[in-house]
Amino acid sequence: MATMIEENGPSTHEQTEVSSSSQARQKLEGLLNKNMRIRMTDGRTLVGLFLCTDRDCNVILGSAQEFLKSTDTFSQGEPRVLGLAMIPGHHVVSIEVEADSLDDTQGFGTNH
Amino acid sequence: MVMKSAVEDDDTGWGLGIPEKMKNNANWVDITHEFKGACKELNLGELLHDKLFGLFEAMSAIEMMDPKMDAGMIGNQVNRKVLNFEQAIKEGAIKVKDLSLPELIGIIDTCFCCLITWLEGHSLAQTVFTCLYVHNPDLIEEPALKAFALGMLKVCDIAREKVNKAAVFEEEDFQAMTYGFKMANNVTDLRVTGMLKDVEDELQRKVKSTRSRQGEQRNPEVEREHQQCLALFNRIKFTRLLLTALIAFTKKETSSVGEAQKLVAQAADLLSPIHSSIQHGIQSQNDTTKGDHPIMMGFEPLVNQRLLPPTFPRYAKIIKREDMVAYFSKLIERIKTVCDVINTTNLHGILDFFCEFSEQSPCVLSRSLLQTTFLIDNKKVFGTHLMQDMIKDALRYFVSPPVLSYKCCLFNNHQAKDYIDSFVTHCSRPFCSLIQIHGHNRARQRDKLGHILEEFATLQDEAEKVDAALHSLLMKLEPQRQHLACLGTWILYHNLRIMIQYLLSGFELELYSMHEYYYIYWYLSEFLYAWLMSTLSRADSSQMAEERIQEEQLKGRSSKKTKKKKKVRPLSKEITMSQAYQNMCAGMYKTMVALDMDGKVRKPQFELDSEQVRYEHRFAPFNSVVTPPPVHYIQFKEMSDLKKYNPPPGSADLYMAASKHFQQAKLILENVPSPDPEVNRILKVAKPNIVVMKLLAGGHKKETKVLPEFDFSAHKYFPVVKII
Repeated sequence: MATMIEENGPSTHEQTEVSSSSQARQKLEGLLNKNMRIRMTDGRTLVGLFLCTDRDCNVILGSAQEFLKSTDTFSQGEPRVLGLAMIPGHHVVSIEVEADSLDDTQGFGTNH
Repeated sequence: MVMKSAVEDDDTGWGLGIPEKMKNNANWVDITHEFKGACKELNLGELLHDKLFGLFEAMSAIEMMDPKMDAGMIGNQVNRKVLNFEQAIKEGAIKVKDLSLPELIGIIDTCFCCLITWLEGHSLAQTVFTCLYVHNPDLIEEPALKAFALGMLKVCDIAREKVNKAAVFEEEDFQAMTYGFKMANNVTDLRVTGMLKDVEDELQRKVKSTRSRQGEQRNPEVEREHQQCLALFNRIKFTRLLLTALIAFTKKETSSVGEAQKLVAQAADLLSPIHSSIQHGIQSQNDTTKGDHPIMMGFEPLVNQRLLPPTFPRYAKIIKREDMVAYFSKLIERIKTVCDVINTTNLHGILDFFCEFSEQSPCVLSRSLLQTTFLIDNKKVFGTHLMQDMIKDALRYFVSPPVLSYKCCLFNNHQAKDYIDSFVTHCSRPFCSLIQIHGHNRARQRDKLGHILEEFATLQDEAEKVDAALHSLLMKLEPQRQHLACLGTWILYHNLRIMIQYLLSGFELELYSMHEYYYIYWYLSEFLYAWLMSTLSRADSSQMAEERIQEEQLKGRSSKKTKKKKKVRPLSKEITMSQAYQNMCAGMYKTMVALDMDGKVRKPQFELDSEQVRYEHRFAPFNSVVTPPPVHYIQFKEMSDLKKYNPPPGSADLYMAASKHFQQAKLILENVPSPDPEVNRILKVAKPNIVVMKLLAGGHKKETKVLPEFDFSAHKYFPVVKII
């Protein structure tokens, strides 16, 4: 995946540069409204619908639920409902999407 | 579909190693790297989003890892293990039996602090339920602690029920959520008070057995135990008395209110010994002087962190133990005052009682108790009087309308009865709402007063129609009597009172800027108070007319008996006070105009609005009122135009005139027999203002560019003007 971006990314032609960024945009757009799981720097995990992002990888999830870190023994079971939540890019540790939702998404997971 | 199968093949590789803790067994695919890479391709400031999701929606997202918004991050930052009650018992972190006296005293005091913090508007989850013991009193083996925990839950439950029923709270006053905690509903109130009494008796025996006897060498150990037993005894007894008093308020009979008053008075006597024995209890392990949550055995501030709603976290600053007793004694004073309401019988008296009580900005519990004491479940005032009868009494007291006079032929006239009864029935809901409004916190009252004017405008209309109908009926039956504008006068009086209160409360809430004062005071003095005084004197003459008729009828039967005695007119005090208020407002109005002439009022740069826009906004709620008709800005400008005088007055003339108004107010108030605190408060403003206005009229500091100061500390509505 990473190599794919690199393949398209550095280019001497302006045209290809444009296409690489538009391709990235397309990929991200394909993820919109998909269920996403984001782990944060403090160990908590948020699950919600991917609604919005920007250059700094700040992500907004809709109908988000908060899960505590797996090491925490206390009240682990029930998630806490947060609703609309924004995760600052520098606090994002990992991002996952549901595999089933990848079928109609270009660029992510399918053609690596 | 072909694609789909391809994806599923990939899954096995992608999904490996991801911990499965979600309920659905979806396979999660890690895309961190690609995602971040793709994000970098976006332009600076560009948002990638669905067309249905815009910046506007993004605004309302809570920001994770921001301590101001993210309630969940606090729990992750402490190093200790957060245990719930069962876990804490299992791990031996908490004792459920054989607690020492200092431990019990410390736990009880901290619980009291939590209770107070809850009553001051924080959530139960962050206050009372940070005490693990109240989560499940069944698990407690120590009888004193068990009884106390149950008592605490009952106090919370009854307080919550009262506040909910009275419905005079907003989110800033009170959090009614219980987060699914059980409020000791499986035990009856009687059982809990019984348990507390048993513990009390047991402790009393111990107190007696450790008491010093004459001639005995005092063992300091025994002395300390005696002190601690006494401290615990007082706390348990206080809890029981508080609970019993609250239970008394839930009963339907008025006599139980008197009983509650006695009980809280007894509880008040315990407060001073409780205060002096605070040091006997164990202290929290952390520094709580800055309002941090106490950390000690039995308390876990973070135990409910996950129950909090996803709104901005509110930090519950638990009050200090030192302040606990002071709060309780004020609370008890307020509850005692509330109990006095049942001695007021007249509706106007009750309204005044509510107004006066509200002026102290009382807590939500006492406000709610007052509401529920006034109208008990059966919708009767104090549980005994019908609201309709109260309204009829108020009408008799205020205007003595012939229709409600026993001596008038209308009193037994079938048609007249129908008219008045339906009018009074229509009155009862708006008047109940008016009384309820006075139960809200001060800031919310203003808004609600503005809205209720609409209902009173409808009543006004009806009152005038009923008056006309009754008058034509009366003309046929008793042509020598009149029924003109009786009910109308009464409604108008309340209308004006509401309008005046609406405007005045703006000063108390510090809503007006200095440059707005002049039209607010103008509206009050030239318009509302003028109307109020003419309304009151009309009511007064209506009363006199009725009395004269009654006297004549009496004379007819026993001619000798009617000796003219000078009776104090019932409305005279109110007329006098209105005159004083009107003079104060007129004085302030003239002061403001004169200060403006001298360039001593800072005015805003009107760019997007104008004075007219502000004026219309300030008086907007009055537009729904027909009588008195609202004064529009243009009319105000014409009426207050100084050029119509010849020669137009200068600032010195106006200062002089203002000084005379304050002087007049002072004269009126000094002649009030048995002055109440309000009279003295106004005098405290009037006297210095007389002097300041005279100085200003004499040209004192005319050249100074420093703006005058308005000091509202002596009176909420009228400032002392200070020239620096």
